[in-house]
Amino acid sequence: MPTKVERWKDEAYGMEIRDHLLQFAEEGWDAIPDDEHDAWFERFKWWGLYHQRKGQESYFMMRIGTPMGRMTPEQLRTVGEVAAEYATGPVENPEFGDAYADFTTRQSIQLHWITVEDIADIWDELESVGLSTIQACGDSWRNIVGSPVAGRDADELIDVWPIVQELHETFKGNDLYANLPRKWKVAMTGDRRGSGQGDINDLAFEPATKVIDGDDVAGFNVNVGGGLARKEPRFARDIDVFCRPENATDVAAGLSALFRDYGDREDRFNARIKFLVDEWGPEKVRSVLQEEYVDYELPTAGEGLRDEYDYNAGRADAAGDYIGVHEQHDGQHFVGLSVLVGRMAADDVIELADLAEDYGSEMIGLTQRQNVIVGDVADADLDAFLAEDLLDEHSPEPHPFMRGSIACTGTEYCSLSIVETKNRMVRYGRWLRDNVPVPEGVEDFHIHLSGCTASCAQPQIADISLRGMKTRKDGDAVEAFDVGLGGGLGETPTFADWVKMRVPADEVPGYIQNLLETYEDAREGPAESFRDFVADRDEDELAALAESEETSYEDPYLGNTKMTWYPYAEDEDMSASPAPTDGQGNSLPSDD
Amino acid sequence: MADRVLKVNAFTTFDLLDGHVEGHGFTEAAFATLNVRTAREDPEEITLELELDNTELESVPPHADRVTLSAADARTLASELTDAANRVAAAEDE
Repeated sequence: MPTKVERWKDEAYGMEIRDHLLQFAEEGWDAIPDDEHDAWFERFKWWGLYHQRKGQESYFMMRIGTPMGRMTPEQLRTVGEVAAEYATGPVENPEFGDAYADFTTRQSIQLHWITVEDIADIWDELESVGLSTIQACGDSWRNIVGSPVAGRDADELIDVWPIVQELHETFKGNDLYANLPRKWKVAMTGDRRGSGQGDINDLAFEPATKVIDGDDVAGFNVNVGGGLARKEPRFARDIDVFCRPENATDVAAGLSALFRDYGDREDRFNARIKFLVDEWGPEKVRSVLQEEYVDYELPTAGEGLRDEYDYNAGRADAAGDYIGVHEQHDGQHFVGLSVLVGRMAADDVIELADLAEDYGSEMIGLTQRQNVIVGDVADADLDAFLAEDLLDEHSPEPHPFMRGSIACTGTEYCSLSIVETKNRMVRYGRWLRDNVPVPEGVEDFHIHLSGCTASCAQPQIADISLRGMKTRKDGDAVEAFDVGLGGGLGETPTFADWVKMRVPADEVPGYIQNLLETYEDAREGPAESFRDFVADRDEDELAALAESEETSYEDPYLGNTKMTWYPYAEDEDMSASPAPTDGQGNSLPSDD
Repeated sequence: MADRVLKVNAFTTFDLLDGHVEGHGFTEAAFATLNVRTAREDPEEITLELELDNTELESVPPHADRVTLSAADARTLASELTDAANRVAAAEDE
């Protein structure tokens, strides 16, 4: 029997939700019937809106999907202006102020404290510069990820930007693929870095070459069924298909139609295509694709470039991100800037857009490591650009502990999380920077902090994986983390080994300090990466590498932040919440 | 080392309980998660699932335990738990 969500989707879903949202925007929050909240909130996701958590009723997170994280400076400025005007809540965040934008691990933008009353105005502003919230969430084609510098990167096999644009235009707002059994995440990589992180996507196009009819053809190998969530992580499986660039849309259409038709609509926990690949095996996926969904003979897989991949690969001989100055094809440069935990103040967003425009950049890129790239900086302008004040805060040469940190949304806004995340990761980063010697040779050290097992910060593929938990300390329940080590992508993708459970949040920095001291003392030399160091050790050795301990680090969020209405409010008690409000910030009566 | 078997998020019933595992010749203590689950749609039974932190246990492999309850079973359990809670509360008041 189809699930409740499937029934809601049958009643209304896809493009038509826009009209309903505009109606609610006109009539106000109260016009959404109380007994239909769950159904409408599920449908709103298709147009990029998630209702925030308990205590924040009537406020939404809005996600803007930017294919491969690419924007023009004008688009970025609009994001900053929308954030400044609309993404402000009743209480400021102590680290980030009253308005900010979050850059996500899937190269999208998230704004918080959005009210339904403002939706029409926000869409007007975003759409006037070609931005959209369409299908940013919900059961459909999500934002397509890949390298934002495709076509500029001096180190790539194929410029995938034209192909990604075609996919985006074909599958956004397309009724045939609007209602899938679950989300559909696609990555396309054309470079030698592996920067699409295709292994953790439902559908991955990986760069490859193949000799066809005597010609050496550059294209893609096709992998299916990756994903990290639900305590069931999978890397995308090789279905032995090579895809020419001109066939990418047909293959993508075939596979998303296959998912639409054969995916499990009776159990949302079993709905992602990774479970269908588990059940069928890659061979059957290939044969059904061939027999039912494409009308040409699919070539077998070609020769991939995996051995060159370095993006989030934990290699000692190459940085695993885009931070710093890089050469473009055309002799100009792109500059990767660190954005700690992906959150940038709205004023900084606007300033960055102005700066990029001043320097003649036509491309801003958001990366899957929650950082930002400014493209097209001329050689002659490079020194002046690097000397700009904004780059003191968002640096192209950040400290390794600031550079590699990723965090999800956490209890600040998210209904699932059980711990505070972003502000804590900022505090961890600063403390580590100020107190822990960086092992010689380490340029970037990846710490991914996720608030629960939903894995939005991709905790299984980091040097150090932190996943929210609880523990007891001095008789009190406190926020804590399970700790994993040694995950990463690259030539041989590996999920982290989980070595500690329930480390109190205030003892995590001490644990990392002790761990890195052991690493530097016991490794074979700087050429042995942390990931290799972990891979060389068995379970017992890993568990014994370091102990957690209290240090000078202080954690203001140790208590149970999920029980507050907002973790940073002066009166954080759930009963002190002003929500729901009427769109002007005035509290409305609530039955809750 | 093995990852947790059960997912843990804000909807988990208990993410921090004291647990024990006991067998012939061994007893070990560990923190535990305990969750009550029903199908989202037309549920026919209740699942009670329990997992002790495997990093604290040597005598048993990483695992979770599940029992299924009928609605009547669940009410019986709830009733017994309520009675027990009342007895504990009464004892605390004395």
